[in-house]
Amino acid sequence: MSTRPDFPARRSILRQPSWAARQEQLLFLLLRLGTYGVLLAAAVIFIDIGWKGGRVVFRAEAPFINVPFLTEAPESLHVLKMPDGTTLKMGDREYRAFNEAHPEQVKAARAENYVYSAGGIFPNIVGTVLLVLGSMTIALVLGVCSAVYLSEYAKEGPLVRLVRLSIANLAGVPSIVFGLFGFGLFVVALGWNVSLLAGWFTLAFMVLPIIITASEESLRAVPKGLREGALALGATKFQTIRTNVLPYALPGILTSSVLAVARVAGETAPIMFTAAYVVRDQMPWDVAKWTDFVFQGVMALPYHIYVVASKIPQNEYTRDVQYGTAFVFLFTVAAIALSAILLRARLRKQYRW
Amino acid sequence: MANDTQEPIAVTHSVRKQLLAPGKFRLFGKNRDWWIKQFFEGNAALSIIVLLLIVFTLFREAAGFMPGNRHNLEVYRLAGLEYVDIVKRETNSAAALGRELSATRLAWFEALRAEGLTSETANERLAPLDEIDTRLADATGPLRDIVSEMTDHAASVKERANVAEDMKEVRQNLRSGIKGADSQRAASLESQAAAVEIEEIDYATEIVALTSRLPEIQAANRALSAELGALAAALPRSDIPAVSKRLQRFAQALEEFRVGIPRVEGELVRWRADEPVGAFESFNAFLFGRTWVTASFWQDWYGVLPLFFGSFFISVLALAIAIPLGVCAALYVNQVARPAEQRFIKPYIEFIAAIPSVVLGFFGIAMLGETLRLVSQVPWLSWVPGFPMQERLNAFTAATLLALMAIPTIFTLAEDALQNVPKALREASFALGASRLQTIVRIILPAALSGITAAILLGFGRVIGETMVVLLCAGNRIAIPDFSAGLGVAFQPVHTMTGIVAQEMGEVVRGSLHYRALFMVGSLLFLLSLAVNYGAQKIVTRYRLPQS
Repeated sequence: MSTRPDFPARRSILRQPSWAARQEQLLFLLLRLGTYGVLLAAAVIFIDIGWKGGRVVFRAEAPFINVPFLTEAPESLHVLKMPDGTTLKMGDREYRAFNEAHPEQVKAARAENYVYSAGGIFPNIVGTVLLVLGSMTIALVLGVCSAVYLSEYAKEGPLVRLVRLSIANLAGVPSIVFGLFGFGLFVVALGWNVSLLAGWFTLAFMVLPIIITASEESLRAVPKGLREGALALGATKFQTIRTNVLPYALPGILTSSVLAVARVAGETAPIMFTAAYVVRDQMPWDVAKWTDFVFQGVMALPYHIYVVASKIPQNEYTRDVQYGTAFVFLFTVAAIALSAILLRARLRKQYRW
Repeated sequence: MANDTQEPIAVTHSVRKQLLAPGKFRLFGKNRDWWIKQFFEGNAALSIIVLLLIVFTLFREAAGFMPGNRHNLEVYRLAGLEYVDIVKRETNSAAALGRELSATRLAWFEALRAEGLTSETANERLAPLDEIDTRLADATGPLRDIVSEMTDHAASVKERANVAEDMKEVRQNLRSGIKGADSQRAASLESQAAAVEIEEIDYATEIVALTSRLPEIQAANRALSAELGALAAALPRSDIPAVSKRLQRFAQALEEFRVGIPRVEGELVRWRADEPVGAFESFNAFLFGRTWVTASFWQDWYGVLPLFFGSFFISVLALAIAIPLGVCAALYVNQVARPAEQRFIKPYIEFIAAIPSVVLGFFGIAMLGETLRLVSQVPWLSWVPGFPMQERLNAFTAATLLALMAIPTIFTLAEDALQNVPKALREASFALGASRLQTIVRIILPAALSGITAAILLGFGRVIGETMVVLLCAGNRIAIPDFSAGLGVAFQPVHTMTGIVAQEMGEVVRGSLHYRALFMVGSLLFLLSLAVNYGAQKIVTRYRLPQS
């Protein structure tokens, strides 16, 4: 609200705030407390993950970033508690070499091992990037073109209204339902198995309703006069759309699609049984022919978080990989979302018809 | 116009260039614009088809559940598992009696110790109770033996039925290979198919082995009934009020059990193996079934009720936290906050919506669950119902995180609704001398109520469809929450519809009954979210205020 009615006159007349004024102050204080409570709760999450995860990802000395964590594949962690009280922590490969060199030490030690708790998360990052790129390509082409049709070409009628209604309703369908659909159609019925392709289409269809709705909204926000002006000059319909509608709607479409990217990258449920593997030894590009590329499952960051959060015990040895993965994931998605929100705030000021 | 001498506006726009160039492109007698329109139309059609496909796939996979579950229930009845379960219920309640007795004994023992008796003398005093315990166990012994024999028989019949089903499928698979194969291979396939042995199970004769035990059961029941009467008479008394109350309760339970025995017998006599399973029974068993048991050696049940209750319960808890906070934040930002505060809070709360749910779930496991448990163990908080918490991961843990996910949805939409209240209403209220508080409570809130209701509904839709948080933090125990625990019910672990799909989908055999049951759950979720969305839209359009 831009105007805050203050009552200076009343204040000066009554020295003591009246009961009503106190009541008002109390309520406003409560509202403020509630609001800042919400902000604080979110801040706690960011700080907890930022602090504990930041210590895994960043280093005090050059190059300041934990490079192995971002460039290696996950491994099992072997913890050897030596008889002399020291504790050795090593990844799987290191452990094997150590076992060859000093089998007697390994035998004497008390060994524990935790899966996925050593190494890094490089394949997961690659998998997530691949999933986002593919699915956003599909969703943007289909979604923006559908929106152009709905807002520019389609004649208003019961059918188009029905289509619009069903698209709006599908935007609220839970992501796990899209996961089920992807599993039933792509993985089972079409026989693509757990693969990038199945994940692309599942994620694309999940955000499709959102992209269509948002794009149509920004297309409709372009004033009629711009279209009519072009048409009056003799431009064809498509020329009008290309030169006088799309450029002005593009920023809005862009913002909504950046938000959609955050959504696609952040969802776990749809890829759980369509595209994600718990563990995979090869990198996605280690394939014989290109068709194998799209028919392979990948490791993905959100699914990896689920796996390390639920399938391995919580202790001092596994905490690093858990918080490190959560940190990388949360702050990547948050950065994408933040840029979209800031972009939108700027655009809202820029275009006021 | 006065300014005739003005230079003509320089048209540098590309429109001009294009207008001057004649359109020559033609394909199949249609010009470029027609084809471009077709392209857009095709894309729109594709999107619609895809979205229809979602609905179709969900329901197609789910459709097989009805006949499948009907068959499942038929075998349950034909093989006599249902019959055995009737008797089992009786022995189970006898076992519950035994547990109740042990609990009573423990309470009594502790009361005696509190009076200053040593454990030996206390045990001595409780000897009559121990004797009753032994006699109760002995009295139900024969019945338990009969039940265990019957269980083995019924389970073996069911196992044979399953094997026969599998063999039928093997034969069918072999036969389906015949088409398209050359004659030699076809002949070998046919002979293989013919060689597959399929046992025809004669349920009518198998069931006799169970129903013929009825006289034995009746005899065992008569003996049990007599013994129970004797036990009730021999029950010792106590002058400690709490113990006395427990003893009375036990005596009452004993009596209820004894009265219930003839009812069980009546059920056994009335039971018919050949009674057909109704067409709706399979559907009812899904929608109103109170147990969800899969991969069991005895009988699989696909009752969605505990999952539905779990989802619903968590959502209500989450909304109980999210509605006050979300609406409160919307009111604050819209009515009270300074512009600088608004510019900070609005994007911040929208930003919360972008936190991936799996990260929230991880936070719940790694931090929140443990913190809540530590808090619940603080002695001066023990008055809170349900404290100290039994489980680290429970409905409340999940609900607090879900609330954080619902707040942005509720906040954004509620704030829009408040924004849409015409300025004139507010100004008129001030003009009449109302204070800001009165204006907010009496004018603005009622005017925005439809929008806020829609916001809450959509928040509900968001929460009930959320998967990862509940999968990680809700505790995943498949049971209807025990509401007799009062408010402490919030700290029980539950399982949810979304959670069960995510948890079990990865492991099911494709095309099996279990697989289809999960699709049924998915369809239910789908319909539920459609209803919530549609309801929210209806509310908004129905009660929309006229804009000034």
